[in-house]
Amino acid sequence: MPNSAVASPNELYDVLSSFDGALLSREERAHALDRFFALRSGREKPGRFWRVDLDSIAPDPGTVDATSASLQIDSHDSRVLVCDLATAARDHPQLLARAFATTGVDATKFGALARAFAGLGAFIYLRADVDCNDPITIAYAPPPGSAIFAHTIVLAEHGARATIVERIGGGEGAFFCGVSEVVTEERAQLLYAVVQHAGAGGRVISSRAMRPGRDAEVAWASAELGGDLAASDLSIAIEHPGARAEVTALFFPRAAEHVDVVSTVEHRAGEATSETLIKSAATDSGQARFLGNIRIAAHAQGSDARLRDDALLLSRNAHVDSVPALEIGANDVKAYHGATVGAIDEEQVFYVESRGIDRNAAERMIALGFFEPAIERFPTESLRSEIRRTLAEKLS
Amino acid sequence: MSEGLRIHDLRCSVDGGEILKGIDLTIEPGRVHALMGPNGSGKSTLAFSLTGHPKYEVTGSVLLDGEDLLALAPDKRARAGLFLSFQYPAAIPGVKVANFLHAARQAERPGDLPPAKFRALLLEKMDQLGIDPSFMGRYLNDGFSGGEKKRLEMLQLAVLAPKYAILDETDSGLDIDALKDVGDSIAALRASDEGRNTGFLIITHYPRILQYVIPDVVHVMIGGRIVKTGGHDLAHRIEREGYDVLREEAGAVA
Repeated sequence: MPNSAVASPNELYDVLSSFDGALLSREERAHALDRFFALRSGREKPGRFWRVDLDSIAPDPGTVDATSASLQIDSHDSRVLVCDLATAARDHPQLLARAFATTGVDATKFGALARAFAGLGAFIYLRADVDCNDPITIAYAPPPGSAIFAHTIVLAEHGARATIVERIGGGEGAFFCGVSEVVTEERAQLLYAVVQHAGAGGRVISSRAMRPGRDAEVAWASAELGGDLAASDLSIAIEHPGARAEVTALFFPRAAEHVDVVSTVEHRAGEATSETLIKSAATDSGQARFLGNIRIAAHAQGSDARLRDDALLLSRNAHVDSVPALEIGANDVKAYHGATVGAIDEEQVFYVESRGIDRNAAERMIALGFFEPAIERFPTESLRSEIRRTLAEKLS
Repeated sequence: MSEGLRIHDLRCSVDGGEILKGIDLTIEPGRVHALMGPNGSGKSTLAFSLTGHPKYEVTGSVLLDGEDLLALAPDKRARAGLFLSFQYPAAIPGVKVANFLHAARQAERPGDLPPAKFRALLLEKMDQLGIDPSFMGRYLNDGFSGGEKKRLEMLQLAVLAPKYAILDETDSGLDIDALKDVGDSIAALRASDEGRNTGFLIITHYPRILQYVIPDVVHVMIGGRIVKTGGHDLAHRIEREGYDVLREEAGAVA
């Protein structure tokens, strides 16, 4: 099976030379790869339930795809600069430098791996006060059996408004390792949605970081719907007061799929709010783990942080671990977390059945409804319908 | 085929304890039966036994217009024409009232109303029940007050227009305005073409609702048995004397 064994480090270092020296030097790439090998994922080790060891994952050097054939950019707004990463490095290096490699996303193991092989990706630049109605879509589709490393870099100036949709598809057995970095100035409003439909045997590992400006409103909305393994880091670091941050994730492993989501909201400035909502279900032997970090620094008075995660277990062998982790250093804050894990409530099923709806349809309706508060946070009705349809297929 | 909801020697146990000890009752199309009794007498157990709640072990026979109800799963009982207004309806977050009611109507009467006509019907019934149109977009019973839940049960009754409707303490916890709206909506259903032949079993603790829906027959249940059956005046007698006198009479009989 390609990509599954721990690769010989030397061969991976050899592959670095085929990547663009204008974006990152060979030395910078080698340093990033050093960090990848040195860092631990911090994820759970295989044990009684968990079957995947993220620390043992490395791409097969022979499958690394340095071309940009798997990227598609869809933007209809001429006021917005959207281009591939190589073009941005060549034509707009100063703009790119305001966001690229500024969020610390490469401090994680897989963020470092993506950095080492940076080349494929998109740069989105939103000028001050530009207001985009149509979502900007960035789609990644690695060919079967290949490994790609994607960077989506967003710079939003003050007052800019936009919605970005990242789609991850891909052929059978593909390996996707991606990074998003989103930097906004004051009052920007940015919703970044991710819809992941990787193919069978696919592995998708993404690390995403946002830095909102003062009074900015930013949101992650992530739907991990495909692949055999999906590991996602969603983080927002609030360093300016007045920011409003939202993190939404939904996932539904079935068969032998694994999902591992870590959300982190850092309140490093006060008078800011964050709201994290995680909805997951698991069936067959599907497994998921969610770790929800909320950190409020000692000086971040007036912070308001909420974290809610609910997991639905639809079979005896399904397993979901949910771990909220709140570190609160300030005393004048509001912090809330609530979590539930359980099966579908039989009283709900009976109520729906009593209205003439058969048991399977009743369970499907209740499970889809369970996801709905998270689905509603995704942009556009067509995207929401797509998510509902995919979940309904997994339920049938 | 004999019409009516015909209950014969219905017995029901939960966790090994017998709660219903042989119920015989026939509800004819278009007639209103009231079932009264003190708390714990088995009234709600009867409602759940008839609708097929999985927790209840039931023996005896129940025929709905000749169809063997006890052999059917709960959804099929509903499709046969049985409706229960729950005393404590379940909340189903994420499922919108309008979508749920449409799914229920589709399940019970496939393809009978195109979506636009269904929406018009829903709005008309909501107006009758004093339910704000914004309810269509709310999640089913999620965050509803007790009164709102009961109005929503009545809305479902109106939209589904079943052959037989069991109302389990629909009046409990309602203020006088809500009670009047519930009474009006039942009257409206009974006056409509769809609901003209609906038979009712109105389960209640207090005779209050029976001022708004005049029953043809009143039954009193105590200790899992129907101990007395009479006309509307029986409800008045309970209002005056309470259940104790009947309990004593029943004890004397047993």
